[in-house]
Amino acid sequence: MKLAIRTKKAVIQALKTRGLRLKIGGFNVCLSSSIPEVADHLLVLYGASDVINDEAFIDFYISLAPPSKLRRYFRPQVNFSYDGYFPFKPLPYDQASAMFEWGLNWCIASHSHQYLIIHAAVVERNGQAFIFPGTPGSGKSTLCAALVCSGWRLLSDEMTLVSLADGLVYPVPRPISLKNRSIDVIRSFSPDVIFGEIVNDTSKGSVNHLRPPDRSVELGKMPAKPAKLIFPKYEQKSATNLAPLSKSRAFLKLAENCFNYNILGVEGFNSVGDLIDSSDCYDFKYSSLDEAITLFMELAH
Amino acid sequence: MLDDCVISLPTGSVVCCRFWEDESVVYNQVSGETHLVDGLGAQIFKFVSEQAATRTVVLQNVKRVFEFEIDSDAEGLLDILILEYQKLGLLTITENNSA
Repeated sequence: MKLAIRTKKAVIQALKTRGLRLKIGGFNVCLSSSIPEVADHLLVLYGASDVINDEAFIDFYISLAPPSKLRRYFRPQVNFSYDGYFPFKPLPYDQASAMFEWGLNWCIASHSHQYLIIHAAVVERNGQAFIFPGTPGSGKSTLCAALVCSGWRLLSDEMTLVSLADGLVYPVPRPISLKNRSIDVIRSFSPDVIFGEIVNDTSKGSVNHLRPPDRSVELGKMPAKPAKLIFPKYEQKSATNLAPLSKSRAFLKLAENCFNYNILGVEGFNSVGDLIDSSDCYDFKYSSLDEAITLFMELAH
Repeated sequence: MLDDCVISLPTGSVVCCRFWEDESVVYNQVSGETHLVDGLGAQIFKFVSEQAATRTVVLQNVKRVFEFEIDSDAEGLLDILILEYQKLGLLTITENNSA
């Protein structure tokens, strides 16, 4: 059953009692919260996700709640907990939905070592996964959002999960996190897309999440074969430039963008090596989304 | 200058290599460090990762690949690299008992 067909009242009730259980890509998440805005966030952005039954194995038990009764009224805050453990300091109450997204990123990155986990957006077209590793500010999420708005399948905006078992990229189709100027860029690029509530004054500035296409969520179990590894760099007024990158240099750049390369040891080395073997590698500089999309369309043919 | 020693990867698959064109990436499990090695260094690893070899054989291989006459400067550079890689735990140098 899709979350979208639940009423807001039912979602709030589930969050407050036994927790709302959602299938998100290959992960089963149980979220508890007394914060009504969290229900809005889920209904708008996770509407296409399946609600799973009470017997299903849960990968991550997550809770979002005010840290104390006092903090419900005086400068209200929200705390994120995973299995009863509090990995972060509390945030202002109105950042609860963003905290859920960041916290879930942390859960996946810290516990899913059956995958090589790359800090990268990944999209698919014609059976080919295009991987865009990037540090904050590189423009990977903006590029990812523009491609997804142009019909590409979203596998992930934040984390590329490469299976150690078969080398394929497994999806976690979740909302795309856009920040600051990127929000308006994508709003004008694709006026029909659905955004959640904007969250201002976070440590990353203003953050707004874009709903993933329903089709990408429905294909949440279907992996894709890595084909292109592209290191994007947004530079104002720069010409669109896709430059081949040597595989050895791409290896080092990719390893730097992995969350668990060092944890995996030789497995990590082999996984990165196999990914590099199966991908064409590039550095990519851009300022025009339209030109970037035209170029990647050609590359995907 | 090094004697005609035997050069090899450390035992126990401690060091892993990948090769692409004239570059390689070398991973040391003990230190956890990954090194980008190109040019002459990449050739050394390409050769000794297949089998241990004496310095003389490595030198001959380098000469064949790069198609140049090896003078004392080139030999010196080869020795510096081998010793540097040994220091990083990427290569092992042992005495050549068959010499």
